Amino acid sequence: MRAPLGTFVLARSGDKGGDANLGLWVAHDGSPRYADRVTWLLALVTPDFVRAFLPEARTLEVETFALPNLGGLNVVLGGLLGRGVAASTRFDPQAKGLGEWARSRYVEIPEVLL
Amino acid sequence: MPEPAPLRIGNCSGFYGDRLSAMREMLEDGPLDVLTGDYLAELTMLILGRDQLKDPTLGYARTFARQVEDCLGLALERGVRMVSNAGGLNPAALAARIAEIAAGQGLSPSVAYVDGDDVRSVGFPGALTANAYLGGLGIAAALAGGADVVVTGRVTDASLVVGPAVWWHGWSPTAYDELAGATVAGHVLECGCQATGGNFSGFATMLPIGPTDGPAPPLGFPLAEIAADGSSVITKHPGTGGLVGLDTVTAQLMYEVQSTAYLGPDVTTHLDTIGLRQEGPDRVGITGVRGSAPPERLKVCANELGGYRNDVELVLTGLHVPQKAAWVQAQLEPRLTASSVTWSLGALPQPDADTEQGASTLLRCTVQDPSPEPVGRAFSGAVVELALASYPGFTMTAPPGPGTPYGVYRAEYVDRAAVAHTVHHADGRTEVVA
Repeated sequence: MRAPLGTFVLARSGDKGGDANLGLWVAHDGSPRYADRVTWLLALVTPDFVRAFLPEARTLEVETFALPNLGGLNVVLGGLLGRGVAASTRFDPQAKGLGEWARSRYVEIPEVLL
Repeated sequence: MPEPAPLRIGNCSGFYGDRLSAMREMLEDGPLDVLTGDYLAELTMLILGRDQLKDPTLGYARTFARQVEDCLGLALERGVRMVSNAGGLNPAALAARIAEIAAGQGLSPSVAYVDGDDVRSVGFPGALTANAYLGGLGIAAALAGGADVVVTGRVTDASLVVGPAVWWHGWSPTAYDELAGATVAGHVLECGCQATGGNFSGFATMLPIGPTDGPAPPLGFPLAEIAADGSSVITKHPGTGGLVGLDTVTAQLMYEVQSTAYLGPDVTTHLDTIGLRQEGPDRVGITGVRGSAPPERLKVCANELGGYRNDVELVLTGLHVPQKAAWVQAQLEPRLTASSVTWSLGALPQPDADTEQGASTLLRCTVQDPSPEPVGRAFSGAVVELALASYPGFTMTAPPGPGTPYGVYRAEYVDRAAVAHTVHHADGRTEVVA
């Protein structure tokens, strides 16, 4: 079913120079589906997925770094913030809200994971 | 032989501007061996650089000096060593300021400082600031030399924890697994309340935020108990607000890393080896972290003045929002002389909204230029003159202020041999560490 990514995925985001940095991981909410959710999240979030999921990144270089031991991955969105925090003209120049935007976006989630 | 006691190390600041009372809270609310504070971010170096341009005796985080003024006696009485990177671009001046504060209070702490991170003399043309990210060995040497207070320039945030752990446990510089374990603990602590429920996307269901119809208790700052093998437990003082859980700790470890091998000045930390376990209420254990040799070169934070910027938010209300935006944009553009003009329009308001705010959106205009004039009065005047001469309902969230300078950050690298990582002990001795 279509539901927000944040249904069981948590996030934190920030800036590194002109790049935005996004951590995504499966919440430790006591669900017996935790391991399956992690497998699903790590398979889902590829650079191509990120470019489609967050349209403001559609032309950007995106890298992902899986950390299965922590149940998630780190995503770098190259150049989203232009030349860095002080120079950026984005309304969220440090990408503090990027993670919450991503969690609010809808995605197809297999019902067995809910 | 009994296990050596773990190092109990806290954090009371995640940035320059963090809660001023946190140093006192961390000292009063429970026992600690060392209290650390991180005051530097990429942007902070630029702010301090501009301070120092105006007054060469500045260039450090002044709030730290105020906190020390309030808390130095308490820290000395409790035997808590204080370690901070608040020295920024001028750790010598901050150390002198602390000695002066102490003398005024009849106290005589041993104050050491660490520098050598400023690499402007090595190159980096055009940079206002250029600072190598140093490791923790200078801090360890300062503590071994008897320092009660250690202030540094640009060490990595995690070094504020790694350095004291090296001193406490007597680790060798090649004890990579231990150093990596302490680096992970440092990375969790370095952003203050972000480890205890601040900026936490699970807040709504997991965090005991208390009633939202009255005063909310402040979140506690985090601390770590670091064992001799580099493993640690992240926790906070009892009775303080917030939560230390698997998700608040994971949040800190999953962002800003940009790799599974986290490159630091003392060790390369393999993040894919971290094991987390909830060991009790507000106690998360970190075990199994593996490290390997650090990279040959040190990373450098270089900032240059990029130019000047300004912005304004215009409020657009009701019908014909796209047309209103297009008209005011067409009116303003020909009047602007800034080299870069950027517009962004918020979401279109709901039709038939039952509040004025619900019927409104914001149109934002940002201007940038290498020189201050085109973004100063030339900009603010052009905007304000439209007040009675543009779209119906013209208003702004605030009138445009004077333009502000902005910086551009870039990462650079420098050979270790070009950096003299130096400890200045309280007795005047200097010691260069590798």
